[in-house]
Amino acid sequence: MSSVVDKPLKESVAKTDTESQISTTTTTKTSKSKCFLVSLSLRVLLFASTLAAVIVMLTSKQTEIVFWPFFTKNAAVRSAKYSHSPAFIYFVSALWIVCGYSILSTLNTLFCGKRCASNKFLISLVLSDVLMLGILASATGTAGGVAYIGLKGNSHVGWIKICGVYHKFCRHIGASLALSLFASILLVILIMLTTVQNRC
Amino acid sequence: MDEQSSYKTTNMEGTSTTEQGRSTTTTSNVKVANRKTVSCSDFILRILALATTLIAVIVMAVGKETKTVPVPIFPNLPPINVDAPAKWQYLSAFVFFMVVNIIACIYAAISLILSIGNRFGSKVLDLTVIILDLIMVALLFSGNGAAAAVGVLGYKGNSHTQWKKVCNVFGGFCRHATASIALSLIGSLMFILLLVLATSRLHKRSH
Repeated sequence: MSSVVDKPLKESVAKTDTESQISTTTTTKTSKSKCFLVSLSLRVLLFASTLAAVIVMLTSKQTEIVFWPFFTKNAAVRSAKYSHSPAFIYFVSALWIVCGYSILSTLNTLFCGKRCASNKFLISLVLSDVLMLGILASATGTAGGVAYIGLKGNSHVGWIKICGVYHKFCRHIGASLALSLFASILLVILIMLTTVQNRC
Repeated sequence: MDEQSSYKTTNMEGTSTTEQGRSTTTTSNVKVANRKTVSCSDFILRILALATTLIAVIVMAVGKETKTVPVPIFPNLPPINVDAPAKWQYLSAFVFFMVVNIIACIYAAISLILSIGNRFGSKVLDLTVIILDLIMVALLFSGNGAAAAVGVLGYKGNSHTQWKKVCNVFGGFCRHATASIALSLIGSLMFILLLVLATSRLHKRSH
């Protein structure tokens, strides 16, 4: 980020005019602080949304009295949990990873100081962001694929829908999916910002 | 491969520039060589991404399988044999996977043309390609995740929700789907590598 500042600073030093020097430094400072504030707030928002998604997912347990299997009259108490499906387990662990990463990256951008100037710092930031985007996008896709089958069922394979029975469970999963989709869009915007930042 | 090509380009540049003069060529020599190797590997990665996504689409589309399955309708009567086809259109996750792969395939072809045409290094075009690459990475990963989740469901089943496994019946279809998902995963890794390359180049050039 401060590499943006360095270049105009050098140019302005080369110029002898003092007024132009002052104007360039002030404009770059304001743009720098804007970029900094936007990326910082996006990272905090990322943390909040992933944490909320995890909490919504963890509190989704629902127990219902179900006549199971069909054509019988045996009532049984059955519960629906996220840990019953490996897809949702992957989803929750990926969300934990992104949540922890968002804390670390927020601290990193807050206290980077002089290291912000180096290209290595920015490149590593972008790369780790891209990695997290991959993890989060695949987790959202995984949970979404299973949740869609739970919502609609599949008559060709004989997988019946379960959202007719477990309303609360399905609502929690939907909210969690929406939050994680929002978080992945935030990550895309963050990567765009960091890529463009070097020249804004 | 890349190292060899870089040596080649430096050698070629060196021989061509020594005729003109030595004082100004040393710095430009290195820059041109770097850009050429970067664009070369960019080219190779885009072709690989195009090929893997295209093959993934074809493998998934080909993997149609029809089996006769005994279906017990009443518990007392003997089961009735029914011809049950397995296609990718039947599962919404696979439809999403196919659509995303086709989009990525078409985008890889378009970006290949763009990267060939972008010899002069237009920065706006560069940024557009990077952002579209990023969106492709996100889409491909989510499509892979969705298809893999349904694939695992078909392979193992889920006893809690009474979703039975189908891969013991439709073995060929499951193998096709697995191969397609693996290929698509390789394609998305290619897009990530492209992103890494483009980012490092952008930061280098702006400094």
